[in-house]
Amino acid sequence: MQLNILAWRSLSRNRRRTLITGFSIAFGIFLAVTFTGSGDYSYTSMIDTGAMMGQGHVSVAAAGYNARPALSRWLPDPGPAMEAARGQAGVSGVYPRIMGQGMFAAGARNVGAVFLAVDPAREHAGHNFFVRSIVEGELFAEGDGRGAVIGAGMAEKLNLRPGKKVILTVTDRDGQLTSELFRVSGIFRTGDRAADSGFVLLPLDRVRRTLGYGSGGVTFVAVYLDDQRSANGVARELTRGLVSRQDVEVLTWRETQPDLSGLIAVDRLFNYLLQLLVGMIIAAGILNTMLMSVLERRRELGIMMALGMTPAQIVRLVLIESFWLGCLGVAMGIVLTAPWFHYMSQTGIDLSRLIGEEYSAGGVLVDPVMKMRLYRESGAAILAAVFMLTLAAAVYPAFRAGGIMPVDVIKEK
Amino acid sequence: MGDDMIVRLAGVSRVYMQGNIEVRAVDNLDLTIRKGEFSALCGPSGSGKTTILNLIGALDAPTSGTVSLEGRNLSALSRGELSRFRRDRIGFVFQAYNLVPVLTAYENAEFVLALQNVPAPERRKRVMAVLEEVGMAGYIDRRPDELSGGQQQRVAIARAVVSEPAIVLADEPTANVDTEAADTILDLMERLNRNKGMTFLFSTHDQRVMRRAGRLIRLRDGRLEADEAVQ
Repeated sequence: MQLNILAWRSLSRNRRRTLITGFSIAFGIFLAVTFTGSGDYSYTSMIDTGAMMGQGHVSVAAAGYNARPALSRWLPDPGPAMEAARGQAGVSGVYPRIMGQGMFAAGARNVGAVFLAVDPAREHAGHNFFVRSIVEGELFAEGDGRGAVIGAGMAEKLNLRPGKKVILTVTDRDGQLTSELFRVSGIFRTGDRAADSGFVLLPLDRVRRTLGYGSGGVTFVAVYLDDQRSANGVARELTRGLVSRQDVEVLTWRETQPDLSGLIAVDRLFNYLLQLLVGMIIAAGILNTMLMSVLERRRELGIMMALGMTPAQIVRLVLIESFWLGCLGVAMGIVLTAPWFHYMSQTGIDLSRLIGEEYSAGGVLVDPVMKMRLYRESGAAILAAVFMLTLAAAVYPAFRAGGIMPVDVIKEK
Repeated sequence: MGDDMIVRLAGVSRVYMQGNIEVRAVDNLDLTIRKGEFSALCGPSGSGKTTILNLIGALDAPTSGTVSLEGRNLSALSRGELSRFRRDRIGFVFQAYNLVPVLTAYENAEFVLALQNVPAPERRKRVMAVLEEVGMAGYIDRRPDELSGGQQQRVAIARAVVSEPAIVLADEPTANVDTEAADTILDLMERLNRNKGMTFLFSTHDQRVMRRAGRLIRLRDGRLEADEAVQ
């Protein structure tokens, strides 16, 4: 007799109880997929959006730039870093960029803003949140031109529209004040008030000249990845490849966007705690089922021990029952969760009525449509957790069963 | 211990506490059972019959004295070793049959052989032979709740003897069945004893059963009152 068969038959004896317990496991999977899936989606969306706001998933910057961003910290020759980044697997884009702060003035009005100098010939809208959010005009065409793309908020403050002039005043690489004239070529509207009123795209070569960076200087190289989860690995490889360069530092989005990183870490922690609580409630249900099942079968288990089953075999039998219960719960969970997950990954729930169109967190605009995606490792973790929980909940009942004394149950009439 | 001696109880006592009251279920008992015996433990309720079967069956441990089966002192074995010893050397027939309810008649009879990891083809051969012997070969796919009391007890006997244990212990095997079924069960046990030389020790207070025994071990208050061979 295989213990598996005996375990399965025992479970099928009280079908209703087994199905109810299976459903509670399935509901746990439903909740775990919902929590984890919405987390995987929203974190990835926020990280990708954050990367698209300038510094990429990974950036190679002048040493010390990240701790104290200043235009005096720059890389005269980013070529080797760009070449090294392009050679990494999973890299989808590498861009030389200059980011700094300056004063933008038009007429009698002026406003402080962050500028991001980009090469229009290389720039890809998929890697630049501002380019993809242009609502009026277009991205400047020449790297050495005088075009500027400003946010809708700034356009309103400075009363600008495409074709109008704006003057940038900035301290150059040597700390000297310098000014440059630009002409608005486009206006973007991201939905994030801070970005729309305090961010400007400028042509890279023109800014290089303004700052005295020479023909190739940048403040950092932004590296974009197919999958944000490989940021640490790519950063590690880049650091290894650039080990001889004391003047550069390789940073991941966690370091360049600590606010976003902290927000995700805290949210993820609460998410895990919530799942742990749900898991404990479900585990209590499984424990209750297994304990009832063992207590109801005290005599039967005692007789099996009298016939020669060892206490260890009885413990194993109850754990196998629990394993099959877990399998049943997972199967039911897949049936219950698959249509929900499909809907949520394809369509999602639009929460803009509740949170508005312009909701940002950690300095990053958040998609108001709640969607789900589930990474393979997240799915595997959920399945592993369900099985671990199911088996852990059966440990006490299993040892209760193993501790039955055959002589005691035989005496019970 | 002689070669043909299977069970030996030497100065065995078993004392229970019922609240603050000490109950001597077995009191300083000496007893031996030889190979091939067809013996009955008899006596009124509370005389210690079931306790003695439990002690010999390695289900219970004596408060004092030693119980040896095939020369092994059962008190020296761990719980796991006792389980394996019961599996390999002892067959049990219970008053309430105690078949595993989720298993068929065949699977119940196969249970001990499966625990012994006997290969499946040999298992099938032996189980079918013994089910044939007890007249249950036509009911192999039935579960216990689809069998009568007498049929269940015959499956229980098949389960007890299929592994050819050193001794079969039967606690009031006919107490829960009607007269006809009781006669069938006794015939069956007698036949197995006579044809295969199996050793049976059963408890009873039924006069009809006692008349079939080859040896009557009479108990009173946990002590041996009489030990008689019956022709």
